[in-house]
Amino acid sequence: MTIVETRAKRGDAADGALGGRLSRIDGPAKITGLADYALEHHPQGMVHAVLVESAIASGRVVSIDANAAERAPGVLLVMTPDNALPIKSATDWLNTPPSDAPYEPLARSITFAGQHIAAVIAETFEQATAAAALVKVYYEEAPAIAGLDDPKAGDGMPLDRMTIEWGDAHGALANAPIRIKHEYRTPREYNVPIEPHGLIAEWKGDRLTVWEPSQWIDGMARTYAEWFDIPFENVELRSPYIGGGFGSKALALEHGAIAINAARMLGRPVKLAVTRAQTFTAYGGRPATRQTIELGATRDGKLVSIVQTGANETSMKAVQVEPLGSVTSIMYATPNFSSRQNVVPVNTVKPGALRAPGENPSAFGIECAIDELAYEVGIDPVQIRLLNYAEEDPHARKPWSTRRLREAYAAGAEAFGWSARQPKPRSMREGNQLIGYGVAAGTYPVRRTPGEALVRILGDGSVEVASSGIDMGQGTYTILAQTAAEAIGVPVEKVRVKLGDSSLPRAPVAGGSQFANLITGAVHKAALAARDELIGLAINDPNSPFRDLQANTLIVENGVISSPRDTGAGVGIAEIMQRTGRERIEALRDTLPENLRNEKDHFRNFTTITTMLSPTDGDYSLHSWCVHFVEVRVDADFGTVRVARMVSALDSGRLYNPKLAESQWKGGIIMGIGQALLEEGIVDARNGRVMNNNLGDYLVPTNADIPDLKVISVGIPDTHASVLGGKAVGELGIVGVAPAIANAVYHATGVRVRDLPITMDKLT
Amino acid sequence: MFFGLLLVERPAALGTYCHQNGVKTPMTNQISLNLDINGKSRQVTVEARVTLLDALREHLELTGTKKGCDHGQCGACTVHVDGERVLSCLTLAAQVEGSTINTIEGLSAPGDALHPVQAAFLEHDAFQCGYCTPGQIMSAVACIREGHAGSDDEIREYMSGNLCRCGAYPHIVDAVREAAKELS
Ligand code: FES
Ligand code: FES
Repeated sequence: MTIVETRAKRGDAADGALGGRLSRIDGPAKITGLADYALEHHPQGMVHAVLVESAIASGRVVSIDANAAERAPGVLLVMTPDNALPIKSATDWLNTPPSDAPYEPLARSITFAGQHIAAVIAETFEQATAAAALVKVYYEEAPAIAGLDDPKAGDGMPLDRMTIEWGDAHGALANAPIRIKHEYRTPREYNVPIEPHGLIAEWKGDRLTVWEPSQWIDGMARTYAEWFDIPFENVELRSPYIGGGFGSKALALEHGAIAINAARMLGRPVKLAVTRAQTFTAYGGRPATRQTIELGATRDGKLVSIVQTGANETSMKAVQVEPLGSVTSIMYATPNFSSRQNVVPVNTVKPGALRAPGENPSAFGIECAIDELAYEVGIDPVQIRLLNYAEEDPHARKPWSTRRLREAYAAGAEAFGWSARQPKPRSMREGNQLIGYGVAAGTYPVRRTPGEALVRILGDGSVEVASSGIDMGQGTYTILAQTAAEAIGVPVEKVRVKLGDSSLPRAPVAGGSQFANLITGAVHKAALAARDELIGLAINDPNSPFRDLQANTLIVENGVISSPRDTGAGVGIAEIMQRTGRERIEALRDTLPENLRNEKDHFRNFTTITTMLSPTDGDYSLHSWCVHFVEVRVDADFGTVRVARMVSALDSGRLYNPKLAESQWKGGIIMGIGQALLEEGIVDARNGRVMNNNLGDYLVPTNADIPDLKVISVGIPDTHASVLGGKAVGELGIVGVAPAIANAVYHATGVRVRDLPITMDKLT
Repeated sequence: MFFGLLLVERPAALGTYCHQNGVKTPMTNQISLNLDINGKSRQVTVEARVTLLDALREHLELTGTKKGCDHGQCGACTVHVDGERVLSCLTLAAQVEGSTINTIEGLSAPGDALHPVQAAFLEHDAFQCGYCTPGQIMSAVACIREGHAGSDDEIREYMSGNLCRCGAYPHIVDAVREAAKELS
């Protein structure tokens, strides 16, 4: 458990209130090297596990010769499917009951290259690494499907539940005076948190402690409890700091089961650090996608029909959907619409969630297509978007709660200087640089799950906030301190926040950009309850100095309690606590609806996603919105693309801490620049292996790739979206960046690149 | 569907091992090192193949230096050796005996004022998850000392050996610019 205290604050006192620009309260620990990430613990007797992975993409392991590895210095165990202790299957995050078949994290039957097949555990990391190289594996290899483009992959399976249709999309398209049709593609992309995955597992009897970076402590703890057949309460999962996740650290993974099993078999704590190369196959990132978009429009650019057919790759064993119709179906008003999607099984690790799964590639398709339509009919790209503005959710047929997209276009265009754009492609130039301006919009839904939090007022007048929720850099520690400080009426320095430990009150997944809203809501509720109790104490306790006032209520401000009628100095919280003999006031509150307030549903709420509301549950359609304006400079000879500057205007509703929200937006935008220009998992068609499984070949943006970024908040508090008025932040920024850049590149060069990333070979 | 038996052998191990009379030795090629880290003399006994990064993190309880790739590709493990920035994952512990090693933990003593680069990182929110941050800060201190913080573009270039997947780059540039001013 990590307690983060608010200190080293600079700037304005108002920064501490919700909405203030307080610096990260977990910052001092991070910048001094004292923040303890999961793999930095050293339980007594800890040993090291290294994974052995499949060299083939399809087939089966015939046998494993572990003799040499077992004899190597320091080796304690070579774990294979033959000697591993059995593990039970677990309930999944949709609450699907587990099968009776055992769960086997070490595979015998191989469906992708890089699948775990054995693990070597030794006294030291170096010994385990060396011995892992001595494990001989004999395979029977079968033909593999390397990826979406493999001719053997075919068209895949249609997913009827992804179909979205209204009107007569095909009929209207056939009759439309303007029709365009293009295919857009995104490659396999990886999360690449700079902290690789891994864990330390320690058993004491039937109690398990796991140090592991986690976006979802309670969800992962439940899986571990079920895998190893122990009560949920017996798992303590600790994750006070997470070195980035971007969707990849929300679920328990095979390597977790392997390490915990090894610790059980050896009776010693086991550390398993997934190597950087293994992070490309120990879990999946964004699957490769392709989509065909047909737009039908009038001659003046008004949409009459959108027809979309898309597909994403998935693994051989599981269906992972990257919903390609998610933005297509809500961004523009159209009377006729059709979106259908297939999944195509290939020999890959199961793809996962990577920042804005669905919205991201979906926006790439529609936001490029609408740009193409703008050129086709000769309208400014901003104008065509406003012309087809959706006044209500065209799919759900519900009003938007808030949609500050017009404001975003206006503010962004103004700050960017969009009016200086010459409409014709390849018409702006400086020396050898072709200059292009591009625009695209993005959106991300507001998801909602009930939360829970504990707030304590202590005898010394300080406040504690506790949740098993996590902070992977979104700023949870900080905004919760601000929330509690404001709700109770204490200076933010008086608040300590404890996060990242399964022994604390429950929390749902920090994913889907839902967490800040739900956890501030729960902390706010608990803090108000604690404050009410404090005031009640001050009014009613015989020893309270306020007892004789007969007041109905009191004011708590800056840690001091006073009467609204009294102009005196007031009494500090600590003094009230002391005089009334109270050591603490404690309020544990959840935001569950009445019908879920029972033990079973409470547990389900925090360990599955089955209680998460969709953005259109209720009377409104709830989404965040953004627009990106980009200037690119393309070398006329070489086709190298540089993003020269960007202005983004974003509507995330109310920002709890603009300083931190801006950082998250920019982080998403930067990941979007990487997606547009650099990132691509390259699979060897011969053997299905990810060839660029390292940070020198899978290119993520470096500092020199990123210009100054301007972000503008155009949001207003949206209390339909959340109690405190915030909407989605974390995943919004990336959505729309890649199409804005692709559109700018077209404007600069006259070359339309419809498959990411936009590399020089596609431009020259 | 299977087409015959394919033998795929993993490559042979690179190291050599010490087997004495068939008895497995728990440790391999241990060496004792005396390292000068953050102004303190530290003794450590490790295998010869142990990197400076793993010596710090696994044997010396100095876990502020991070492992992001173990291959010299991310910069998370940046420390100073004799005042120069060095990737500790590509440096053997045995190589730096007799050198002066500085890590993030030595930049400002606990309880003391933050180093100007640390303070600027906090003020400008030049990090999110914080995992790349010790490496960024050690690089930034060296970048300024090298005289490579003269312009934003120069800072970007000389800070590009440190990846930040959270995307704190513009704020890192702000922080380095400000700290450079303060330190000049
Ligand atoms: S860990 Fe050394 S450069 Fe990545
Ligand atoms: S702050 Fe997370 S990787 Fe840089």
